[in-house]
Amino acid sequence: MRIVALIALSAVPLLVAAGPYDIALFATPKAPSAHGSARLVYAASPFGVAVTADGRAQYDIQVTAAELPEASSLGAFKAYVAWAATPDLSTWVRLGTIRNGTSIVGHVDLNKFLLVITAEADSAPPRHAGPTVLHGTSPSGWLQSFLNHPMFRGITG
Amino acid sequence: MRRLILGVATFAFAAPAVAQDPGMSVPAFDAKRGGSEKVHMLGHVPGHQGPWKAADVEMEQDPSRPYVYLCGFTNFDVQIYDVRDQSSPKKIYDWTIENPELHRGIGAMDGKYFKIGNRYYYAQSYQFMQGSPDADLGAVVFDVTGLPDPSKVKVVARIRYPQAPGGFHNTFAYKHSDGRALYFATVNQQKALVYDLAKVVSGGDPSSWLVGEVPNPTPFKQIGAGGYHDFYVGYDPATHQDKFYGAGLGGYSVWDVTKPEAPKQLFTITSLGMDIAHTFTPSPDGRYAVTETEYQYTPLRIWDLQAGQTGKTQNIDLPISAWTADWRDLSHNHEVRWPYVFVSAYEDGLQVFDLTDPKNPKTVGHWFTCECQHEHGFGGTPDNGWQSTTSVEQGAFGVDVRNYDGLVVLSDMRTGLWLFRVDGFKGWNGRDHGMPNISSVQDWDHGPEGAQKPATTTNDHGR
Repeated sequence: MRIVALIALSAVPLLVAAGPYDIALFATPKAPSAHGSARLVYAASPFGVAVTADGRAQYDIQVTAAELPEASSLGAFKAYVAWAATPDLSTWVRLGTIRNGTSIVGHVDLNKFLLVITAEADSAPPRHAGPTVLHGTSPSGWLQSFLNHPMFRGITG
Repeated sequence: MRRLILGVATFAFAAPAVAQDPGMSVPAFDAKRGGSEKVHMLGHVPGHQGPWKAADVEMEQDPSRPYVYLCGFTNFDVQIYDVRDQSSPKKIYDWTIENPELHRGIGAMDGKYFKIGNRYYYAQSYQFMQGSPDADLGAVVFDVTGLPDPSKVKVVARIRYPQAPGGFHNTFAYKHSDGRALYFATVNQQKALVYDLAKVVSGGDPSSWLVGEVPNPTPFKQIGAGGYHDFYVGYDPATHQDKFYGAGLGGYSVWDVTKPEAPKQLFTITSLGMDIAHTFTPSPDGRYAVTETEYQYTPLRIWDLQAGQTGKTQNIDLPISAWTADWRDLSHNHEVRWPYVFVSAYEDGLQVFDLTDPKNPKTVGHWFTCECQHEHGFGGTPDNGWQSTTSVEQGAFGVDVRNYDGLVVLSDMRTGLWLFRVDGFKGWNGRDHGMPNISSVQDWDHGPEGAQKPATTTNDHGR
């Protein structure tokens, strides 16, 4: 009985932190006070729902960030840039620049992806090179079962 | 609550002979410092800065290679220590998963070294969670032959299992009687995986690395996909079988893996209070076994396996005794060097008990390594720093014993790497105790004692 209850409880953080369109963002040691969240919004489309020609959903991302330090405080950097990366980190797509407050970047048409915000020397760098300050996982990235150990489920309280 | 009551009831009725040693009182939690007379602390290294410092620990056994591997847990790294000077372990190598800041999970969990031909290897298991990079990564394999020169350590393979993301929680490297070096791995499916390590380190098509699967007949369906949690593999010279002792979360099972491509189930242990059947370690002759279940208040249980080993029963359901360091806590992993059992006992640190009389385990000594607040162990999520206010999963996580000289190493989740000696324990060879010389330590050069030598050794590959 306790197990069942605890498994139910274990699901709560996921539901709170990442609804079907929400992405919780996590800080890194480079900017430990930074925090934020993101929401997937359908990219503009005359049909209401944006899809690519081969049928993949196409989103913009509304990023709300706070307590990002000046990028220059982290080194020779001028801007924060949002990227969508495939889970194996083999493909990175630059989405746009991010500031404290709300920014809308995109498009992204990956199924599962990581949203990564890095400090960069330029607002439109060809590839990511600077330190990561915030990162999160697309809601679709959670659709896997990992319940193989109490430690891994966060059920112990 | 119901689970807890069942567990305590099982302990009370099934194992009335011994739990905590009779007459011993338990100390106040804040008095758990230092150790007992027979246990001597030689060295200690924290290893990491943060609140979580280590998962499991592995120690090489060759006298010429004084190396200890500390699994970095949520730090996502493995550190290699030279313990030539046991009072001052020296970190000589550290490897962390690429882009660690983007990874989420419990990370570097279990490590096993192995030897093929004249080369030494180390496999570090990993577990990353959904949405994280490398969620399909089970282990990273290093060639560590060139130690202590860190520039000569190379990553030679990564074992991935995308069919069931979540990585490998526990692993066991085994020198099979047929000459192969095999790697048994837990996975988030209702089976264990068996890899041929010679194929792994030789590269080539990864689909050829997996050579066998051991089904789990005792799954705990409330947790995940019914996989194993842990296992031990050992040779039985009496029956000339390689045997797999699996902790299947819902119970335990023993398999004949003499042909790992076609395992044969021998018998099971199922009973009340088997929630999260976690660890299963037999005596060198397979007659007795020590098991752990992963919940607070449960003792380690001692089993007589004879009826199962001889085929008189298909299932054993009654332990013959039990042992605990402190009934309020939980003891974790263990290494059997008959008649001694070395326990990494979470909040109760290193514990050693004696199974000379298996029905009456006797505590030999202890050293408290955790120095932590009771019930403030591992739990929660990465987002709250894996902190809990109910868990006793903290402190001594893993333990290993060096057979040639009796050195004991222990990894503590809160305090890092510790080295110990125990009075009267100057090494271990089963023959000195009327047992086969069989333990978790493998004879990589010659294979298990008592096994017929294979006609050809298939794993050298000219190395």
